Amino acid sequence: MVAKYSSVGKSLPAVDSVLKVTGRLKFAGDIVVPGMLSAKILRSPYAHARILRIDTTGAEALPGVYAVITHKNIPTPKETWSCLAFSRTGPVLSETVRFNGDEVAAVAAVDEETALKAIGLIEVDYQQLPAVFDIEEAIKPDAPKVRPDGNVRPPTVFEWGDVEKGFAEADFIIENKTTMSNQQHAPLDRNACIASWTGDQVTVWTSTQTMFSLRKAIANYLDMPLHKVRVMCPPTGGSFGFWWSNNFHFIAVLLAKRAERPVRLELTREEVTATVKRREIPRTYVKLGVKNDGQIVAASYRHLFDNGAYGNKPDPFQTVVDLYPIPNVRFETVGISTNRVTAGCMRGVGDVTLGYGIEQAVDLASEKLGMDPIELRRKNHFRVGDVLHTSQEMMFARMLFPDIHTEPTQLTSSGLEECLDKGAQAIDWKQKWRGWGKPVAVKGTKRRGIGMAISTHISGVAHLGSNGAIVRVNPDGTAHLITGVGRMGQGGDTIQAQVVAEVLGIPLQDVNVIDGDTDVCPETMGTVGSVTAHMVSPTTKVAAEDAKRQILEVASAELGVTASELDIKDRRVFVKDKPEKGIGLKQLLTTDLYQTLAPPTIVGKGAEGFPFRQGGKMTMAHFVEVEVDTETGIVKVLKYVACHDSGVLLNPAFCENQSHGGVFMGCGLALTENLVFDDETGAILNPNFMDYKILSALDMPDPETIFVEVVDPAGAYGAKGIGEGTTCCVAAAIVSAVHNAIGVRIDPPITPARVLQVLGQKGNENVY
Amino acid sequence: MIYTVKLRVNGREHVVDVQPHWSLAYVLRDKLGLTGTKIGCAAGTCGTCTVILDGLAIFSCLKLAVDAQGHDITTIEGVAEGDRLHPIQASFIENHGMQCGFCTPGMIMASKALLDRNHEPTEPEVRQAIAGHLCRCGTYPRIVKSVLKATKTMREG
Repeated sequence: MVAKYSSVGKSLPAVDSVLKVTGRLKFAGDIVVPGMLSAKILRSPYAHARILRIDTTGAEALPGVYAVITHKNIPTPKETWSCLAFSRTGPVLSETVRFNGDEVAAVAAVDEETALKAIGLIEVDYQQLPAVFDIEEAIKPDAPKVRPDGNVRPPTVFEWGDVEKGFAEADFIIENKTTMSNQQHAPLDRNACIASWTGDQVTVWTSTQTMFSLRKAIANYLDMPLHKVRVMCPPTGGSFGFWWSNNFHFIAVLLAKRAERPVRLELTREEVTATVKRREIPRTYVKLGVKNDGQIVAASYRHLFDNGAYGNKPDPFQTVVDLYPIPNVRFETVGISTNRVTAGCMRGVGDVTLGYGIEQAVDLASEKLGMDPIELRRKNHFRVGDVLHTSQEMMFARMLFPDIHTEPTQLTSSGLEECLDKGAQAIDWKQKWRGWGKPVAVKGTKRRGIGMAISTHISGVAHLGSNGAIVRVNPDGTAHLITGVGRMGQGGDTIQAQVVAEVLGIPLQDVNVIDGDTDVCPETMGTVGSVTAHMVSPTTKVAAEDAKRQILEVASAELGVTASELDIKDRRVFVKDKPEKGIGLKQLLTTDLYQTLAPPTIVGKGAEGFPFRQGGKMTMAHFVEVEVDTETGIVKVLKYVACHDSGVLLNPAFCENQSHGGVFMGCGLALTENLVFDDETGAILNPNFMDYKILSALDMPDPETIFVEVVDPAGAYGAKGIGEGTTCCVAAAIVSAVHNAIGVRIDPPITPARVLQVLGQKGNENVY
Repeated sequence: MIYTVKLRVNGREHVVDVQPHWSLAYVLRDKLGLTGTKIGCAAGTCGTCTVILDGLAIFSCLKLAVDAQGHDITTIEGVAEGDRLHPIQASFIENHGMQCGFCTPGMIMASKALLDRNHEPTEPEVRQAIAGHLCRCGTYPRIVKSVLKATKTMREG
């Protein structure tokens, strides 16, 4: 792809890389607003309780305290506020607390120490209520009610074909149940928010992936018009679905209003881990009807998942149910509330959790047939043109427009076959595969096994919002791209700039990206679900092409040819058939026009959403070799190969970095990460980096990433997404590899203790 | 109880009033405006607060400001010489040794401390130097590559 374009497809450095290496890039926690106060939050020590009495007089009387808020004194024009994609619906503060750590009151004071002291002076009498922590307990009709409207979201159900008939016609049935460890986003940065009111306008500084969604949530909650709410958005230090609209934003906004001064709220590491958001805990029941030739003819998936205290998702968000096109399917998924911190979207979402359950069942089917797992997947995985019965886009279309008949969407591009081929080759699968539950090699207590898994993921969904971009070209031929893309480390802003540079025929360093201000930037889709490369780039391209068209119109008058005969390259407009005839961009754009006696104005605009039916899906196949020490239980990753089809790569180095990140995060999910909840109090016992273990530079060898660049018909330059997809099938591949090493399937977390426990239970069966 | 301390940071003396329990990280950021040093955990478990003190990489969140008096402190802001980037910084850019950038200052300080005393580190030595530095974006492979490539540049230059 390299020689074709000048910017696109090249591993150019990120536009803010100099700022990053010099420490000059400011995250929300680095921002100072003059006169800002510091805020602290009083949190519930109980998982479920009613506040009978709350007395803040002691806190308010403390010198240096400017405002104290409780459910009694905050304005509540609405009962609840809602976050993007049903992620959270709940009150800001209420008389009921629903998880250990839930917000009870908040203080704004001259400094953090005074605020903390004031928190300690607030008196609260709680009435403890029965709490429920497990989703299969919470789903029962007599379970304690986490929310007034009940614990169980309306189930999302899909059905096609005839599932019972399908099972009857199958040669054998596989039934399996899986669960997974409770992972948390664990970004290195900490959430911070500064809110400041000027009359009836509020400005919020916070790192977020979804600044327009936050603006809307605040405006909705306070009954304010959108143009009076301004969100200033520095880059986030890490991302992964964590930095959406959160309750602490509202606390800062309300404190600032009451204090009549800017208020800064920054969460401690413990609060980041324990009071904001985590991945959903799944319980997945999979039943497959399989023929002896390996064809899967019927499937029933029942996927229960955890919403925590305020999560509101009725669906985990997934594409994996369509990964294997099966003629008879019933898919039911239910979101369930529990008295634990809100659970919601985290990198990979349902394609991680539900995908894990499906991959394990597919493995079991392969094992039953004595078939290589790659072969069974080749027989059954989707291909271009296959219907995506459960596509999120179709779901939303039907929900938003129930009177319009919406057909399910189809798979528009796929490199999955090639991913399987290349990955298998890279890990030496043919040489290493010994059969199910049979290790590659045994040396003393150490057993090696290989495993693999496949997955798919959205490259954004069209309903993530409106999409706009502006390209302004300066008289000297440099340009500004004004975009609402969130900056989170994945290079989304840089690839947009690369698109602009490509279209305008200028080098990347001539493009300045202006982002992070809802007053300045056009509304852009929330930077979630791997949307940017695939769905935002086309609009950016339209804006750049609009600017180019305006430039060529001016040039055509200047050069005496039609605009269609012209192109721009290396900062110069030239006649395509006679390249020596041309004019430098700077010279062209600084020349006054007779009509206006001024230089031309070049402002390109893109303002269009993405046609939902064209949404591409990324595909991937992962392969891993592990070594399990049956004496210590330690699982070591020896070699990891990640093969990805993300369409054409706009910046290969960015994509490789994303792949690495997804593998490490997935291995953490499989092996080392787990939020530990106290059974009685519901408190998280390991809300820190010491006891919640994310991978370090010493923990595994560098993964090998192979990209298969299939051209997607709808993505700009053929691009699809990557960010979320890199985590989807990691845990499944690891569990498979561990199984092949030691003969048991262990749901994550596959900690050494768990390995030894399971091996001990086995009682030395057939493996040895 | 307020103490007036003299802190020598990036070659410049600062006089600042501190409380005895304030960490060096906090004082650097909130009193001296040097926000390049980050505080990811305030507990010495993430590495984002790393500065170089008398040639050694330390976690500034675990160092009391009152204890930092009389020492030579270098923060990320002191690594480049004006507009001229240090070879490590240039290498991080060229080799994509960062994604979100939050761990980057800490990684660069740890790498610089290593390369200042060991001009030819092996890959395991580089990994050991950043062992206490977490990167949730998962950039370890390219961080290590950036440091090794910088080593090469510094040897040749």
